[in-house]
Order: sequence, then C-alpha cells, then structure tokens
Amino acid sequence: MTSITKKLALAAAVVAAPFALATSVAADGEKYVLVSHAPDSDSWWNTIKNGIALAGDQMGVEVEYRNPPTGDLADMARIIEQAAASGPNGIITTLSDYDVLSGPIKAAVDSGIDVIIMNSGTPDQAREVGALMYVGQPEYDAGYAAGVRAKGDGVGSFLCVNHYISSPSSTERCQGFADGLGVDLGNQMIDSGQDPAEIKNRVLAYLNSNPETDAILTLGPTSADPTLLALDENGMAGDIYFGTFDLGEEIVKGIKAGVINWGIDQQPFLQAYLPVVVLTNYHRYGVLPGNNINSGPGFVTADGLEKVEEFAGEYR
Amino acid sequence: MNPEHAPLIQMKNIEKHFGRVIALAGVSVDVFPGECHCLLGDNGAGKSTFIKTMSGVHKPTKGEILFEGQQMHFADPRDAISAGIATVHQHLAMIPLMSVSRNFFMGNEPVKKIGPMNFFDHDYANKVTMDEMSKMGINLRGPDQAVGTLSGGERQTVAIARAVHFGAKVLILDEPTSALGVRQTANVLATIDKVRKQGVAVVFITHNVRHALAVGDRFTVLNRGQTLGTSQRGQITPDELQDMMAGGQELVALEGSLGGTV
Amino acid sequence: MTSATKPTANTDERVKEISNFRNALIRPELGGIVGTVAVFSFFLLFAFDSGMFNSQGIMNWSQISAQFMIIAVGACLLMIAGEFDLSVGSMIGFAGMLIAIFSVTLGWPVWMAIIVTFVIAVSIGALNGFIVVRTGLPSFIVTLAFLFILRGFAIYLPQTIERKTIIGGVSDAAQGDWLAPVFGGKIFTGFFQWMGDNGIIAVFERGTRKGQPVVEGLPMLIVWAIALVIVGHIILTKTKFGNWIFAAGGDAEAARNSGVPVNKVKILMFMFTAFCATVFAVCQVMEFGSAGADRGLLKEFEAIIAVVIGGALLTGGYGSVIGAALGALIFGVVQQGLFFAGVESSLFRVFLGVILLGAVILNTYIRRIITGER
Repeated sequence: MTSITKKLALAAAVVAAPFALATSVAADGEKYVLVSHAPDSDSWWNTIKNGIALAGDQMGVEVEYRNPPTGDLADMARIIEQAAASGPNGIITTLSDYDVLSGPIKAAVDSGIDVIIMNSGTPDQAREVGALMYVGQPEYDAGYAAGVRAKGDGVGSFLCVNHYISSPSSTERCQGFADGLGVDLGNQMIDSGQDPAEIKNRVLAYLNSNPETDAILTLGPTSADPTLLALDENGMAGDIYFGTFDLGEEIVKGIKAGVINWGIDQQPFLQAYLPVVVLTNYHRYGVLPGNNINSGPGFVTADGLEKVEEFAGEYR
Repeated sequence: MNPEHAPLIQMKNIEKHFGRVIALAGVSVDVFPGECHCLLGDNGAGKSTFIKTMSGVHKPTKGEILFEGQQMHFADPRDAISAGIATVHQHLAMIPLMSVSRNFFMGNEPVKKIGPMNFFDHDYANKVTMDEMSKMGINLRGPDQAVGTLSGGERQTVAIARAVHFGAKVLILDEPTSALGVRQTANVLATIDKVRKQGVAVVFITHNVRHALAVGDRFTVLNRGQTLGTSQRGQITPDELQDMMAGGQELVALEGSLGGTV
Repeated sequence: MTSATKPTANTDERVKEISNFRNALIRPELGGIVGTVAVFSFFLLFAFDSGMFNSQGIMNWSQISAQFMIIAVGACLLMIAGEFDLSVGSMIGFAGMLIAIFSVTLGWPVWMAIIVTFVIAVSIGALNGFIVVRTGLPSFIVTLAFLFILRGFAIYLPQTIERKTIIGGVSDAAQGDWLAPVFGGKIFTGFFQWMGDNGIIAVFERGTRKGQPVVEGLPMLIVWAIALVIVGHIILTKTKFGNWIFAAGGDAEAARNSGVPVNKVKILMFMFTAFCATVFAVCQVMEFGSAGADRGLLKEFEAIIAVVIGGALLTGGYGSVIGAALGALIFGVVQQGLFFAGVESSLFRVFLGVILLGAVILNTYIRRIITGER
C-alpha cells in the first residue's frame, strides 16, 4: 500500500518540476503574445519566433509565441481566447480566416487588449475587428504583382505548389498569380501536402504529365525545397521559370545558382519585430504610427543576396 | 438414474459426415432427468461432434433427436438453448474483467422500468447471484467481484449455476475438469452432483476415467465415431473403461510398462 | 496485503482480507480522479494569478475539455466494446463541411442541413461497423481507411464546389434557425449578465459590448458534453445494453455464446462514435460560422488518449465514461494550463506523453488486481 502512495508522490514531484522552473522566468515588463495559424511543421515561422524574441530582448518586454499544433484554425481561435484570458498588454495575431477568428479577436479588443494583425488577413479586416494596425503583405496583391512580372518574362502557364491548401491565403497567392498572368487558375494548383517526399513526387508527376508547363510557383520553403530537388532530378532545373514566395536557406542557394528566378520576400522578421516595437512604444509613450505597415512584397533576385544569405532562415 | 422416467433426450443412430470424413457413424445415447451421463472417449473419438449435434451447432447427416418425446430439428444453438439444452464450453462463456453478477446475467439481463426507460436491475441480479453462488458452495466477496479473480473451478461452477438458473433441463459439460487441479476438480464434481439432484440431466464429457466414475450414473464410450456400449454404474471397472476408450488391445501392453498410471 | 493479489483456491480465506482502500482502487475512474486532483492542485499552485481561473480562463479550458469530452464519450464506449475509430477527426472535418455545403452553397435551411448531416455521418459510422464485423478485419485498419477517405472528401468537395477549402457564411445562414442555437447557442445569459453587473466576473471595458460580461453564457458545447457524459454513463452502467457493451469488448466469442448480439452492439457503437463526432462538428461550425477542410486533425488520437487516461483498457471490456470525461478534463486543462503557467508551449507534448504513460501503467496495475494475473 505504501508503495503506491510513494509512487504517486514521486510522479507528482516529476510532473511539478518544470512548473517551478517556468514560473521563475517571468519578466517585469509588458507582456505580448503572438498567435500564428501555422502548424508545428512549418519551418518558415522560425524567423517570426526569432523576430519577437529579439524585439522582446531589445524592448525589455515578455513575449510568447503560440500556434495550433496541427494548423487547425478552430484551435487557433481558442488560443486567442486563452491569450486574452491571461491578460497580456497586447496580442499580435494572424487573421487567416475572418469567420473563425474575428469573434475571439473582437472579444479580446473589447476586453481592453490591444491587437495588431500581422501576416495574413487584409487591412480592411484588421480595421473591422478593431485592431490597431495591420503589418504584412497583402497576399492577393503580392501574387498579382508576381504574376505581372512573370508575364513580362514570357510565362503563359504555371504550376502552383500549394502545401497549405486549407488556408485561404495560400489559394489567394495562386489566384493572384494566375490573374496577374491573365490565365485561368484551373487545375494549375496542386495540393502537395506537407511531407517533403510527397511534395517532390507530386511535382515530378505533374511536370511529367504536363511537360509544357512554363513556370513553377511555390508558396514557401516547405514546398520550394522539395521542388528544387524535383527539378534537379528531372533535369528541368535552370530551364523552367521558377518563382517562390518567401525565403529560406535552400531558396537563397537556388536563387544564387540561377534555378530560382526570384523570391518574394515579405520580410517576416518585420511582421514579428515591428508589432512588438509599435505596441511597446504605444503602451509606454502613447505613440502610434498613422498607417498600416506593408512588410512586402519585395523581389529578391541574384543581385544583392549577401545579407539575405547571411541571415536566411534566421532573420530573413 | 430413474429408469421409470422417460428419457429426456434421445439421440438415435446419429451419423455426421464432414465431406468424406465420417465423424459419427451411428451413435445412440439416451439421457434421463437427474442422471449424470458420462461420455468418454479419446481425442478425436467424436465427442465434440456429438455434443455439438446435441446442442444444435451441427445438423446430423442421418438419425433423429427426440427431446421429451418430440422430434427436434435445431436450426442453431439458440433453438437448443430455448428448448432447455445448455452447453458449458471448455472455453467458458465468462468474461474475466466483468463482475460475477454481470456475467451471470449476460444475455439475460433483468430489467426494471423507471419511467419510460428500462434499466438493468442490479439489486435483483446481485441478490440472485449471491444466492445461487452460495447454493453451490462459493462464498463471493461480493457480487461485483470480477470473474478474473475466481479460480478455474469456481468459474466452471458459475457457468453451471448460470445455465441451471436459466432453466436448463439438459446440461452439457464439455471437459469441465480437463484444465483443473485436484481440489478445483473436486469442487466441480461436487457441483455436478448438486445439479443432478435438482433433476437436471447432465452430459459430462471427459477423457478422465476417475472423474467420470466419481459422479457418473451411466457411461458411454465413443471410439472412432462409434459407441462401444453404455454401462451402468457398478457394472464396469475403471480398467475396463480405460481399455474401451483406448480401443482395446494396444494400451494393454503399454499399461503394463506404465504400471497402471494412465 | 500482498496476499490479496494472489488468487487462492479457498475463497473463505480471501473474503476478509480485501481492504476498503484496495476495493476503491479497483475502479476504472481512479486514474482520472487522481490525475484531476493532481492537475488542478498544480495549476492552482503555479498559475492561480495568471488568468486561468478568472471567468474567461475557466471558460477557455472548459470549452477545450468539453470538446474532448464529446468525442471521448463515443470513443470510450466504442473502446469498451472492443473497437477503435480512427476516423473521428476526419469525420469532424467532413461533417462540418457537409453542413456548410448544404446550408451555404445549396441554400438549405440550417436545421435541414444539420439533420441530413447527422444521418449521413451516422450512416458512415454504421458502414464502418458493418465492414469491421463482416470482414473480421481490425477496426484499426478499416477506420484508418475512412480517416483518409473522409479527409479527402472534406478537401475535395469544397474545392470542387467553391474553389476554396474554407466555407464561411454559416452564421448568416443560421440566423433565426430553430435548430442552430441547440448547438451554437449559449444559455443562462441572464445569470452571467447578473454576475457581470455585480462584479463577480469581468465585463468588456470598451467597444459596442461595453458593460456586457466577457463570458456571455454557458455554451451549448459544454451542455452537450455534460449531457453525453451522463447519458453514456447511464447506458454503460445501468442498462442491459451497457452489459452487452462490456461483454462484446471483454470476449466477443463468450458473449455470443451467452446470446449477446455482439455485431449489433459494435455497429451501434460505431454509429454513436460518428454521432459524437458530428455533435463536435456542428457545435464548431455554429460557433465559428465556417467549416474548414483541416478541422479536427488528429482529434481521433486526442479522444483515445482521453479515454485511456480515464482508465479504459485498449484491449476493450473495461472502462468508464466518467473516467473518460475526467481524462478529457485533464487533457484540456493541461493543454491550456501550461500556457497560463508560463511553460514553453512546445513542452505540452512532453507532458501529454508523461501523463499518458503514467495512466497506462496505472491501468495495467489495476487490471492485474482485477483479473488476479501476476
């Protein structure tokens, strides 16, 4: 009998240990929570984590990054509610689905928490939910701009490798690109899934059955890295027109090698860093920029890659 | 054994063929109420096929089954059960993780009505279970004791008590003692004796001559799908039974060298 | 004391030696009760001032726990009946998508969309069960197939019909509908307003809802969870059918020999699991006003984990709905509480693993006492 009690006590002690550690970390300054819609597997968000961490250090505030592990937006809504319940000074969140997220965000705003929308969503939506501002790159517009550029380079058909098909903003990028080209999106967008091997094979299969494809558009490192491997394998690397959203280590190498024509940099670092800075200054001194901040799009080509290369995957 | 009574169940010239294999080649057995009829035989003698025919699992290829004087054609085991022929299998119909009382009433749950809903009447089930178990000489810790904590012999007893409680007139016990220790075997044999005295006809399948002789009233030996005759208690010695089961001669020589221990 | 674990042939010797404590230990809920007390003690200790126990915080982890509870009740009864359903998560996504397509794209009244969705989902549950009992294949494999099939349709249908993977506008369609508030509404709003007015719970400080309480009422999601737990518990422990559920999972062959309609029981349990998943989906769609193709990802495992923490055996035949509900509560409180306690959120999985392992070990120990195996 006593052995059971002992076991339970031991188990209790083990479970309790990390709590004791964790609670001692709390800082004195303001507290900001950044909520994203990205699943754990999306490596691109690492830059965001680094961005808020740096801003937190520089400004002397406590920052926290939260995301739904599977990318389920209903879970994300609960995380926003939870963040609001913990009473931070501000919440920085993506607005990847207005229907799901507007309720919790409005409730947070109404209960006295300042909100900045970053990355996904539109400036209009940010205004509607009562956020202070929007920091990011309007997805459709960025896709459209890229499409116009590609059209100028003589592209008439393309493949959009969508690794996050359940997020409407991903589809908007592809749609914008198609509209920029002036073609119908049709079946030119594939749902590639998140697994690198699957992405690679789907790209190979598509190019195999549609050899006339002029261009490839990938939506981030998750789909771009395996696509690079696929092009390497079927010998189309450097031949096919290749553009991508976002940057990453492999993408930068691809641009340098001439395999990738351009990367659309939405500068995620700014999307994470600036809201913390803006909120802190607003809370400390009451100053606030008068407009939304567009962190992108900027086209990164083989010219002037040095800084990008140095900080790819970390701050770029 | 009550010879003045009519037999409860009569199996006449039962034949059962599985394709080209003749499992039973004309077996006749009568069972009277209140008797323990032992069915002996070595492995592969046709005991299992015979009792499965009796309990409605198999249909006989030839021959007839009379139950209380009526000709019966069991379509499936359910028919046999509702007629009053219950089988306690070698692999018990008991679930170790469930309580004795839940097991006892499994498939025959008592219900009481509360409003429009029917609920499992636990009070009644518990009371009956405790009563029936103590009748059989088993003192349960409580009706919610799990069957898993009972010994093999006790589980057999629960299964037998359950069959009798739900109105079995013929109780077929398929090797109930084969996996038990000495003491547990004694308990099961005592249970058989109690059941027999309540007027239930018991068909006790075994290949252990000693167990058969301990409780049996009559003995039928099966060998290679045929009966080698039915004997009354006291008219046959253990050695004779053993010989019949083994098919006679071969074992005699063997037995000499084993010193009569088989 | 150790002698109590040894089964002996003589029952008389054993009768007196069982202590009340050990008797109390032999309950499937024990793990859940211990876990619940432990989890709440820790969070009261380490996260009391963090907002976890103010009205918004309580509502937050209660809703998460209620979500888990709804699917855990179905998974629990199915697991006790000896089967798994891995298609629960996909069913949530699929059922939600059906409602959105019916009500928004096809313009049906929402009540009709909900009822038709329930009929379709429960039929798929029945098909799952039918395939399992007919083929004798492990339910693991059959429902794994449906995990992909249903998720595939949840992505394909909206993409083909609406060219997007999230269908919104259900809230507008549900305006004035009589059935929608049963899933997405809130009750006791007057009481919560009163609590807000009297300073018991916080109220909004600004905006159009200024002066209203931050928690407007008790969401129907929680009401459904509690109702399903109560109904599930009564069915399992107090009815004839409950006995059949235990029997079907304990030993299907033995149950059949005793006249229990095992196949019927299993198929009904698959249907009930699908029903629970659909309740989850409808509550979610009604609350958030949209259906997404990725809703419910991995929820099947979360349901199974809650059930196992709650003391059910993976092998079937043993478990408790109350235990599963407590498992869901632990799951929800830990998942949300770690954030309040300031623990790095990626550590959540570590905690989950530790709790799961502890629960499984405790359950094995309990089963050994029950069955007397050593």
